[in-house]
Amino acid sequence: MKKLHIVGIIVIAVAIGVIFTSLQSNASYSDFSEASLNPDTEYHVVGKLNKTVPVEYDPKVNADECSFLMTDNKGVEKRVVLHKSVPQDMEKSEQIVLIGKMQAGEFHANEILMKCPSKYNDGKPQIKA
Amino acid sequence: MDKITFIGEHLWVGILGNTFVFLSLISALVAAVAYYFYSKEQLTHEWKIFARTAFSIHSISVIGIAATLFYALFNHFYEYSYVWQHSSNSMPMQYIMSCFWEGQEGSFLLWTFWNVVLGNILRRTIDSKWEAPTMAVISLVQVFLASMLLGIVLGDYNLGTNPFILLRENPEFANMPFIQIPTYLVKLDGRGLNPLLMNYWMTIHPPTLFLGFASTLPPFAFALAGLWKRDFISWQKPALTWTFFSIMILGTGILMGGAWAYEALSFGGFWAWDPVENSSLVPWIVMVGAGHVMIINKNKGGSLFMTHLLAIASFLLVLYSTFLTRSGILGESSVHAFTDLGMQGQLVIYVISFIFLCVALLIHDKLIRVSYAMCSILMLAISVLYGYKKIILLGWLGASTGITIFSYIKYFPKEEEEESLYSREFWMFIGSLVLMLSALVITYFTSIPVLNKLFTLNKAPVKIPEYNLWQIPFSIITLTLVAVTQFFKYKKTDPKIVFKQLRFSLLLALVFGLTCSIPLYFLKEYAGAKNLEKWNLISYSLLFIAGLFAVFANAEYAIRVLKGKIRHAGSSIAHIGFALILIGALISTSKKQTISQNTSKKSVEGLGEDFNAKKSLLLTKGDTLPLGKYMVTYKGKERIGIDVFFHMDYFTKNEKGVLVKAFELSPMVQDNPRMGKASNPDTKHFLNNDIYTHITYADLSDDSPKNKDAYKEPTNFVGHMGDTIFSGNAIILIDSITTNLNEEQFSKNDSFLVVTAVLKATDVNGKVYRATPKYILKNSMVMPDQFELSALGLKFIFWKINPTEGSVEIQMSEKVSNAKEFVVLEAYMFPYINVLWLGCLIMITGTLIAIFERRRVNRLKKHTLSGEKNN
Repeated sequence: MKKLHIVGIIVIAVAIGVIFTSLQSNASYSDFSEASLNPDTEYHVVGKLNKTVPVEYDPKVNADECSFLMTDNKGVEKRVVLHKSVPQDMEKSEQIVLIGKMQAGEFHANEILMKCPSKYNDGKPQIKA
Repeated sequence: MDKITFIGEHLWVGILGNTFVFLSLISALVAAVAYYFYSKEQLTHEWKIFARTAFSIHSISVIGIAATLFYALFNHFYEYSYVWQHSSNSMPMQYIMSCFWEGQEGSFLLWTFWNVVLGNILRRTIDSKWEAPTMAVISLVQVFLASMLLGIVLGDYNLGTNPFILLRENPEFANMPFIQIPTYLVKLDGRGLNPLLMNYWMTIHPPTLFLGFASTLPPFAFALAGLWKRDFISWQKPALTWTFFSIMILGTGILMGGAWAYEALSFGGFWAWDPVENSSLVPWIVMVGAGHVMIINKNKGGSLFMTHLLAIASFLLVLYSTFLTRSGILGESSVHAFTDLGMQGQLVIYVISFIFLCVALLIHDKLIRVSYAMCSILMLAISVLYGYKKIILLGWLGASTGITIFSYIKYFPKEEEEESLYSREFWMFIGSLVLMLSALVITYFTSIPVLNKLFTLNKAPVKIPEYNLWQIPFSIITLTLVAVTQFFKYKKTDPKIVFKQLRFSLLLALVFGLTCSIPLYFLKEYAGAKNLEKWNLISYSLLFIAGLFAVFANAEYAIRVLKGKIRHAGSSIAHIGFALILIGALISTSKKQTISQNTSKKSVEGLGEDFNAKKSLLLTKGDTLPLGKYMVTYKGKERIGIDVFFHMDYFTKNEKGVLVKAFELSPMVQDNPRMGKASNPDTKHFLNNDIYTHITYADLSDDSPKNKDAYKEPTNFVGHMGDTIFSGNAIILIDSITTNLNEEQFSKNDSFLVVTAVLKATDVNGKVYRATPKYILKNSMVMPDQFELSALGLKFIFWKINPTEGSVEIQMSEKVSNAKEFVVLEAYMFPYINVLWLGCLIMITGTLIAIFERRRVNRLKKHTLSGEKNN
């Protein structure tokens, strides 16, 4: 069974490799203050939309940019520039996850995931922006 | 409080339904116990009759639950919470099925139902030797599933959720005021099926997928029965047909989900490595692995541990996927939001119980088995009484893994002879290992939210490129093995012969693959501006070549070796289909082109490649803009119910350079009162590519004629001479300013001053209009004055002069009908995605052929066996 032993070792090596690389590369959830320390690193920031200030979006200027205020889980509020068209129903969101970088005091996001009130959608696809 | 007597309720339906629910649970329990005793004492005829009767009662009860729920849905008995939540009076009849399985309870019921169907088929077709142990396992699974419908609240825990709970008893809705009125039912209408789900996908996808989930049960039951009866081999032959069936149905269900996502949801693709997609893909991959090691075992023997491990793992992974998707643990990592119905604890206990059962059956030594059981119960007791749940769970999982490895070493018969490197079984085994590894990696990535909870980490979910990074190499190896392996014979083959047979396919794959992949991925003019890393390009090319190799080699095998006998070529056909799926996925994803272009000049390249996607196109009504090789116009919107369709025409240039309409697309945005707005793409299918368009932003409001002539709120502009103002339909230049008095006159008499701003408005056709709003100052008072430019539907008020800055302030308001309607859209071109769908059909057909062939051979053997006996 020698050959299978070699195969077994390769399998274990790959498994360790996967765990190791993913532990190193995979980003953590974070907040604005941590993101401002490393302006070149991508962070996932969880927070809530400030609904008292309207979301700015003018597709005539740039259809791929909208901007709003978000408060992260530590209570820090920052202006967010999302480099995408404005997601539908943003104002209804309960929680937002942004993926992007903090540069010059603004958080530049290239992806957004919204959690909408889920009372009525038992297990159905939500809108992904 | 007085008890209210409610009028018009059909309480007997609920009583009937609940009777069936309890009956199904108890009869499943009785069946499990009875089959256990029947399996202990094979000869007791009474136990057999008893067990069979119990399972029949269970089957009838499950069908009874389903029929009762249907009856309630069909007759709109809104006193039942489930009926009220999922159906409504106005709902078309064809969606009654869909509301049946829209909710959690209904989908569990669907799963239970399929288990019953498969269980009955299994019982009728199975060899009498295996009936008792397999049916005992199936009955036990049914006990757990039936309890999911109980709906008993024990403190903080919900033991299942009941589909027959009354609306006024459902804690979520019981406080609604109208329910306090005795006649509340008279006018009550249901909330109805979620409009997003009112399509044919919702009618066909869930039943197929749940049949797929249910189909993992028979192989699991066989494998457990094998462990239990210490007969590791003879269960495999009857189980193989079931394994193929599972591969086919589960595969179909998953691909249907992908097609649904591609056709009707706006993910921008057919696969997004979403946790919900992954958790149905993983059991399938493992089942494919199980099928292949079972084939090894059938033809050559050996691989006993792997067959048990994979057949069991596939079912356990279905349970785990139920836990992932139903417990709310995925939280923000999934687009499929599943509500937490307070069943997390129950689901964890189910998964753990079945792992326990498998490990306990694996242990041969009675002493170890009893001590393992005792330890497990002790640990459970400690965790319930004192907490430390996570540490105990981890410790228990570790111990169970340890025992599994120990049992493998101790009890499983090993091969004495080492497999030859040039044998089919060796490479098939390697292939199964690769599949298992690939499934493990996906499971690990998908489980990040679970790991976060277990180890109190804060890891973000894994992104798509990382999934691809690992899965592409696995696919390359798998496809190469798919091409090569069947040319080896069992035991030993001369490698030279294999190479001789394969060289033609290999050469063809290399030539064809390289001529395609080099320009597609490496030459600038074809590869486009996408700056992909070298590693990606090489792995894409290798995957493409490996895929072609698999197609050619299997085709050659089917034609040359099997001499084109379709009956025997099931596996080759399925392999070709599998390879085509991967080729189609590779080309359509890696060469997916964003054809909508943002015309804004603003660049954000400084932030990196990901931020500069620039794929949103602003399209104003009446405008014609380029979209890939097409020109596109937006013709207007149309509201049908809650669906708003945006009609667009696509044009191409003919030989003479004249635009000719090529096709029309109507992407839709659903203004869904329950779900919010949902964008549905529209796709034009061509043979070699798809043009996919979806709306990302649009005004859904009604532009009915009644308020067309109203003016909108004015906007203020501060400008100098020569500045321009933009309205919805014109560009307005502040041309000049004139006064009725010169400076000298003004200094003498400032009682009446008129300053006129001359504005030149150029409309879209280039026609110039003059507007002359006046600033009138009479006795130091500003007199209100406005200028209406009715041709353009614009109103101007010149209301302020800032002499120090030399600027003027002008208010402009536009007619509502002026605001040119626009949409923001994204459009993609998916090349050769039809290869993927073709591959799906071919793979399913191939598997089907293999199933029929297996059944035929099994039946033939039975005949010859019985024939021999008779002789």
